[in-house]
Amino acid sequence: MNNILEINNLNYSVKSHRLLGSESDKIILRDVSLSVNERDIIGITGESGSGKTTLAKLIAGVNVPTSGKVYLKFSENWKNFRTNPVQILFQNNNEILNPYRKVEDIVKESFLIRNNKKDNVEIELEKIFSSIGLDNRIIKRKGFELSGGEQQRAALARILAARPELLILDEPFSAQDVESQLNLLNLLKKINKEFGLTMICVAHNLKILRKLADRIFVMYNGEIVESGKTKEIFETPKNDYTKFLLRCENYDLKYEELKFSQSN
Amino acid sequence: MLQVKIDNIYLNSTNSTREIISNTKFELAENKIYTILGKNGSGKSTLIKSITRLLNENNYKISGSVIFNGKNIYDCPQNELLKFRKEKIKYVFQDAVNSFDHLKTLKYYFKLLAKNSDETDELLKYFLLPNSDNLFKMYPYEISGGMSQRVSFVLALLSHPEIIILDEPTSGIDSAIANLFLLKLKEFVKKNKNSSLLVTQDISFAEKISDRIAYLSNGKLSDFRSVDDFLNDPGNPLLEKFLLANNKIEYE
Repeated sequence: MNNILEINNLNYSVKSHRLLGSESDKIILRDVSLSVNERDIIGITGESGSGKTTLAKLIAGVNVPTSGKVYLKFSENWKNFRTNPVQILFQNNNEILNPYRKVEDIVKESFLIRNNKKDNVEIELEKIFSSIGLDNRIIKRKGFELSGGEQQRAALARILAARPELLILDEPFSAQDVESQLNLLNLLKKINKEFGLTMICVAHNLKILRKLADRIFVMYNGEIVESGKTKEIFETPKNDYTKFLLRCENYDLKYEELKFSQSN
Repeated sequence: MLQVKIDNIYLNSTNSTREIISNTKFELAENKIYTILGKNGSGKSTLIKSITRLLNENNYKISGSVIFNGKNIYDCPQNELLKFRKEKIKYVFQDAVNSFDHLKTLKYYFKLLAKNSDETDELLKYFLLPNSDNLFKMYPYEISGGMSQRVSFVLALLSHPEIIILDEPTSGIDSAIANLFLLKLKEFVKKNKNSSLLVTQDISFAEKISDRIAYLSNGKLSDFRSVDDFLNDPGNPLLEKFLLANNKIEYE
């Protein structure tokens, strides 16, 4: 199988400039390497603040790494299109949708940019809306009228209208209720099968990642501490942090049990 | 003690008006944690924002009353309202990072709300945040989504309110930290006359943290019931469907 994405020794750090005081480097990602096969669904989980979102942004080209390279290989010649083959759904769900425009206009615009031709627009849009579960009432509303979860789904519709090859999702489940989570889970699997879309999904919800992902990467403190097939990670975790994360899943630990440092 | 009685909340948009909440009544008694479950767009966030009149009055029309310790929040003058918001009823929002001004360092908020620096340090340590020397120098865009949620919760605790209202506290944080939230919130409601109201999608979290749970659908809130009652005898077809979806994710 072909690699769609390969990352070698990716580092990312930010300089902290202070008015008074010295400049210092804060390391966000340290020597991250990973490769993703075409049509795979990859799950990334880990500590909050461990650099998951930063990694997603580096893959999408939103940020530029300090050192290391991100290699992307696509099947089509994307120079002919005006959209990017990598699309990302961001986590901050109140900032991802224009509050003053109608959902259907937002999605239509994205569709027209990708496709250039004007016929069948309505039918294609209909398909996208129905598969995501945005009904006629919702698509007529403007961004500010939507709830957090609805905004997230509307943004996903806009992304799918651009027909990417690699889809990056940053916490797509976090603002969704359980029914929508289940629908979204099935939807993502369906898109993956039907369109052969490769996906990278950052999420804290292990129950869902277990059902969605083919492979899992676990991050702690800017590094990937464990990776492997989903089943292996959940059934026979090797890394201490992964084990700790799985123990926390039921929210019934005491304070003393909730401390994790790499030394123990 | 907080008594909320909302007749209705309307959202006005360019050419239509939509009713979001209707005939909703509930009370928060002291020393308890209340949870509202509900689907996307059912009005959960709107309902909790209405408690201290946080909804934009140009877009929303509310009728009802919210009585907090004998005072009607909907009638009180602006300066008193601001005082309630600053000292008595604190929120932790779903998109916590937007609660902060991106041009101010976090020091500004801690200076404003925290009186005791030992307590600040202790809470920062508890929530595995950087120490105050480092954190205070940071801008909101320098911290991750999960961190801003924790900072927001720490600030809420530091102002020693009577009520903390949390919108989706588990979204964007790992389960270890959600667990810390749970322990701290339970500790908080044990003190004084405190109570807490939260909105969440995470049923297993709600099950572990709540004293009372209610379900919001079609703009109406069910009665608050004990966790066992609520989960074992939903008594509402929509809620049953909701719980079923959760079981599918969790066990199948």
